[in-house]
Amino acid sequence: MSDLSIRTISADEHAAYLAAQPSASFLQTPGWAAVKSEWKAESLGWYDPSNPGELVGVALVLYRQMPKVKRYLAYLPEGPVIDWDAIDLGRFLRPLAAHTAEQGAFGLRMGPPVATRRWTAKTIKDAIAGGQQPKLGDVRADVIEPSGATVAAQLRALGWKAPKSGEGFAAGQPQYVFQVPLAGRSQDDLLKGMNQLWRRNIKKADKLGVEVTLGTPEDLKAFHQLYVETAERDHFTPRPLPYFVKMQAAMANQPADVCDFRLYNAYHEGDLVASTIWVRVGGHSWYSYGASSTAKRDVRGSNAIQWRMMSDALSAGATVYDLRGITDTLDPNDSHVGLIQFKVGTGGEAVEYVGEWDLPLNKALYTAFDLYMRRR
Amino acid sequence: MPLILHIDSDRWRDHLRSTWNADIIPVAKGNGYGVGNPRLLAEARALGAKTVAVGTYTEVPPDSKDDVVVLSPWRSFLDVPQGKNVIHTVSRLADLVSIPAGSRVLIEVQTSMRRHGIGARELRHTMLLNALDRIKFEGWSLHFPMGAGGTSANIREAAELGKQARAVRQGPLWVSHVPAQKLADIGENVKLRMGTGLWLGDRGAFTVRATVLDVHSVRRGERVGYRQRRVTGDGHILVVSGGTAHGVGLEAPTAAASVRQRAIAVAKGSLDAAGMALSPFTIEGKQRWFAEPPHMQASMLFLPSSVAPPAVGDEVGVDVRYTTTIFDKVSMD
Repeated sequence: MSDLSIRTISADEHAAYLAAQPSASFLQTPGWAAVKSEWKAESLGWYDPSNPGELVGVALVLYRQMPKVKRYLAYLPEGPVIDWDAIDLGRFLRPLAAHTAEQGAFGLRMGPPVATRRWTAKTIKDAIAGGQQPKLGDVRADVIEPSGATVAAQLRALGWKAPKSGEGFAAGQPQYVFQVPLAGRSQDDLLKGMNQLWRRNIKKADKLGVEVTLGTPEDLKAFHQLYVETAERDHFTPRPLPYFVKMQAAMANQPADVCDFRLYNAYHEGDLVASTIWVRVGGHSWYSYGASSTAKRDVRGSNAIQWRMMSDALSAGATVYDLRGITDTLDPNDSHVGLIQFKVGTGGEAVEYVGEWDLPLNKALYTAFDLYMRRR
Repeated sequence: MPLILHIDSDRWRDHLRSTWNADIIPVAKGNGYGVGNPRLLAEARALGAKTVAVGTYTEVPPDSKDDVVVLSPWRSFLDVPQGKNVIHTVSRLADLVSIPAGSRVLIEVQTSMRRHGIGARELRHTMLLNALDRIKFEGWSLHFPMGAGGTSANIREAAELGKQARAVRQGPLWVSHVPAQKLADIGENVKLRMGTGLWLGDRGAFTVRATVLDVHSVRRGERVGYRQRRVTGDGHILVVSGGTAHGVGLEAPTAAASVRQRAIAVAKGSLDAAGMALSPFTIEGKQRWFAEPPHMQASMLFLPSSVAPPAVGDEVGVDVRYTTTIFDKVSMD
């Protein structure tokens, strides 16, 4: 099999291709380029030279400039969107490397949307309770995905560098995420999968009259106020309001309606107690950002809003509800375990992805960039 | 013959009754302040206390019906008794999400002690707010420093931290090292954990006595003891009950706070260096020198010839730290 061809494509072509796929990451939609407007971006499409009209894969590439030189790291967050089960991934990746090198890239980074292992909520709970304080990666998985190993082996053979564990580029996407599988399940099944506390809190919120509604772009301001309040409580640096305004505008209005972007609000007697951002591309739905009030915790707005987002993902035909990143610590003495505990309560599963892989195109510049990022 | 703690039980119980009230949580931990934890727990019950505090999980009485607060913070690697009457202290965010759901919990807030506790700036952390309904919240716990200028500073700090914590979740405030009559200055619904102030608040009710086991006359320069030191003058060697096994002659590092206390510590230190050490045993109203370091269950003292020696079987007084001494017997007189 000879290599495929690659060319720049329009946002319309890009979105139409994604809309026909069972799922893709929202970070691979053309709209995401507008959200990350400080980077140059381009939509790329692969096609067989004998049939130039038909795309067989697409990618959103963000060109991240290196300090002081006009050279770039070409970054494909949670992409590209290609057939990862292909016998020869080189047919896709060689042309990608050649094309981005022409655009001035000194290196490539991508995050193949390929799962390697899965752990059920019960396995994780037992591992935390076991007191061995393992890393998630050291715990025996419940499912080993065959694609994971073959993709990793191919990438190595093609000269790509495996993800560095621990320190490295801090810009990347998480290798471990937590997801609730939705395929073939009913609302009742979802509730049964949750732990008692989640079920109790969902019931409680309902009884106390918490109402979850879909927000409009005008509600972003109220969302942002709550998000800043959350950031103050939890000591993280909040993004400014314009970022979310830009994100809403860019993500919600894409060609082919490729991305379903929603704001949810949970109210109790007129007070906003929780507010979240929900995104769906095909069968993949995400809880992207969340905020909750300090007051009125006891009405359990956070659980109510999660339940609504999950139920809506199910009725929209999604197969996965993705709560995004988790750290791999299962040490009960580490406060990060709290985040895992919250997500584990949904009864879903932890999923390990193959992680972010690098291909140096210019060795010297790539090494310099790597050092620069580590020392930042 | 043993080292005995004599307690004038009427006087002691009068003190306990006049000190204790329903806001005071008796603390029984370690060696039981010399008296022993089982007796302290029985006295607490007799006073009417429905809740007691112990230091560690190993000190939780096995068949207690009353509520028992464990002061040492919960850790995932500790062996924890499963009783419904156990109230845990949680001092880290991670532990709030790791402790079994439904556990009865006091949340400890970090004070100027800087020992255990969740920092005041973490009190509104989403993880803490979410964890509050995993557990059965029993209140907030504060542990303060002791001593110089402590009281008013502790009261101020308690009131301030208490206000911050209760803004997150209403509940009782459990404090230590604050005078009982000042609790109202901190706010409503404050419980005071009390150990030393309760059990050892009236030292006059306590007498410690050791028994003279042997008496030998010695001349200046003669060698004595395991280490064959020469005695410094004519007199008597007394062998009295009470040695390292009881904690006699073992000292915790000095907590000397004043210049005078430090000077005494320095003087004692230089005497120690010269191999001279004052013993806790008193004869004719004075502490007497060790002839050599204490043995396991008895000590050799030197008594100069100017003092008439006691007879074998006589009792002598001992001045010990109650929290570091293990008595052979506690006698309720």
